[in-house]
Amino acid sequence: MTDHTKSKLLVALLGITLLCALVTPWLGHHLPQWNVIFRPGADDMDAIIFWQIRVPRVLLSLLAGAGLSLGGVVFQALFRNPLATPFTLGVASGASLGVTIAIVSGMHFSLLGLSGTSLAALSGAILSIALVYGIARASGKLSPTTMLLGGVAISFFFSSLILLLQYLSDAGSSFRILHWLMGDISRASMDSVLQLAPFIISGVLIVSLLHRELNLLSITDDMAASRGVNVDRSRQLLFFAVSLMVAGIITVCGPIGFVGIMAPHICRLIIGSNHRFLIPASLLFGATFLTVCDTLARNISSAAEVPVGIITAILGGPFFLWLLLRKNRSLP
Amino acid sequence: MQTSVQTDSTPIIQASDLNLRIGSTQLLDDASLAISTGERVAIVGPNGAGKTTLIRCLLGLTQPDSGRIEINSRALAELSHTELARQVSYVPQQLAERISFTAMEFISMSRYAYGGGGGRGARAGFKQADEEGMEATEQAIELTGIGHLRHQALSTMSGGERQKVSIAAALAQQTPTLILDEPSAHLDPKQRDIIHSLLAKITREQNISLIVITHDLNWASADFDRIIGMKAGQTMVDAQADAFMQKQTLMDIFDADWLLHPHPESGRPMVLPSPSQKP
Repeated sequence: MTDHTKSKLLVALLGITLLCALVTPWLGHHLPQWNVIFRPGADDMDAIIFWQIRVPRVLLSLLAGAGLSLGGVVFQALFRNPLATPFTLGVASGASLGVTIAIVSGMHFSLLGLSGTSLAALSGAILSIALVYGIARASGKLSPTTMLLGGVAISFFFSSLILLLQYLSDAGSSFRILHWLMGDISRASMDSVLQLAPFIISGVLIVSLLHRELNLLSITDDMAASRGVNVDRSRQLLFFAVSLMVAGIITVCGPIGFVGIMAPHICRLIIGSNHRFLIPASLLFGATFLTVCDTLARNISSAAEVPVGIITAILGGPFFLWLLLRKNRSLP
Repeated sequence: MQTSVQTDSTPIIQASDLNLRIGSTQLLDDASLAISTGERVAIVGPNGAGKTTLIRCLLGLTQPDSGRIEINSRALAELSHTELARQVSYVPQQLAERISFTAMEFISMSRYAYGGGGGRGARAGFKQADEEGMEATEQAIELTGIGHLRHQALSTMSGGERQKVSIAAALAQQTPTLILDEPSAHLDPKQRDIIHSLLAKITREQNISLIVITHDLNWASADFDRIIGMKAGQTMVDAQADAFMQKQTLMDIFDADWLLHPHPESGRPMVLPSPSQKP
């Protein structure tokens, strides 16, 4: 596939994402009257459902999907392993632990416009990356395998700490933690969209600027270094960018698994491994994918909404197995 | 092939008294190496002699505990990552099979140090760098004869083809020195010959200096100006190929008693296994 074809494909993907963003707010148990919605100052129920519930929810799932997918792209390149994502490596558990501590301790402060919860999540994410990295470095070689195994261990450890905190907390906090752990976008509001956007936008900017470094790092660290990449600095920046995005998503939506594995792989199969194309493709695909999943989540049952994390996990489990069992692994 | 390319006497890379100790292992023990423009140097020695550690130091991938490395009369430590990448390029032993970049993508990625590497127009506004990059890439593809593999993914290539792409990428990096770590060790005899004559052609036509680690003593004897023999972290012997290929030298370095015999056509000394060594 030539670069020209890939560019065309990206334009097509952008079209699909826009279409998805325009159509999904209309879908639901109640079809809003479109002439009511665009009347200025409408305080009709239809307008409220559309503008204050559905549109923020679609925007939130677009942002979260893009961030989760890009986090997967970056980790798969850095660890040179198709199963590496912020979730499999414990970054999401670190952020989740931060949020759990914030919920249990009733943290209500903000610093530089960031809420206490999101700062706790960011600290948790950075802490877990530092731990994984530290374990791998202490073992002598910074091999992706060691980091991956370290990540899995830390992930389990943090998850059990979350369970412990949940067990020890009162019924109210416990229920909030449980509901939030399922990965949910249903509490979306314009506020939450505005809260998440800076995390995702800055993360995407950093990663996009480093697409050439990502290409070389996805081969080997030595190869990247011998071509002139400042490996340590690039890796730190990329880890920070992913921590930002994951912390934002975990705080606002809770842990939503598997998007970071599925979206990058499907994109890689279609558009190839060059991060110049893979980054925008994964952003768009991840955004669309999560939005579609969330639309399913709120329509699948007429009794109650299903948390979107359950939908992505149901789709993601078999996909993960398929990847694991696939013979010809030429990834990332 | 033994006609030596004209060499400049001032070394473009000079490493002196490098020491590196990790735990209880002395990886490098006062190791030294110098190479001039257009010169071809082979590094040989038993496994664990420190050959790879030495070239990793020259590439800036490993920091020695002590010693000094100068590249073009500048200390390696003072060079930025990209400056170093414009001086030396590296061909690893072999590229992983999982790499799914096409040859063209992989080769253009080696233009990183010049601001390229993300495909065409990677850095908007740097049109000139871009054109130079395309030219260097095309030249490397032509020199290595891999035009037909341009749009093929590395993961679908044979070992020999992948190695040619790897060499082409190093050439596109346009450095005066090329460092290769056992570039033909994993190849079948035919592919190995192809890679050897390709490297000979490159140094002949481009006047590029070559530092190669190899276990193939006959190749070192046939195609290299100088051979450095390493043992236990030391650069024990550093001599012209003819002077190196002596029974006693090989005994000192490899602890093995081999026969030496001139090649029937080129007359270069060749190593043959000694019959007495049969179990």
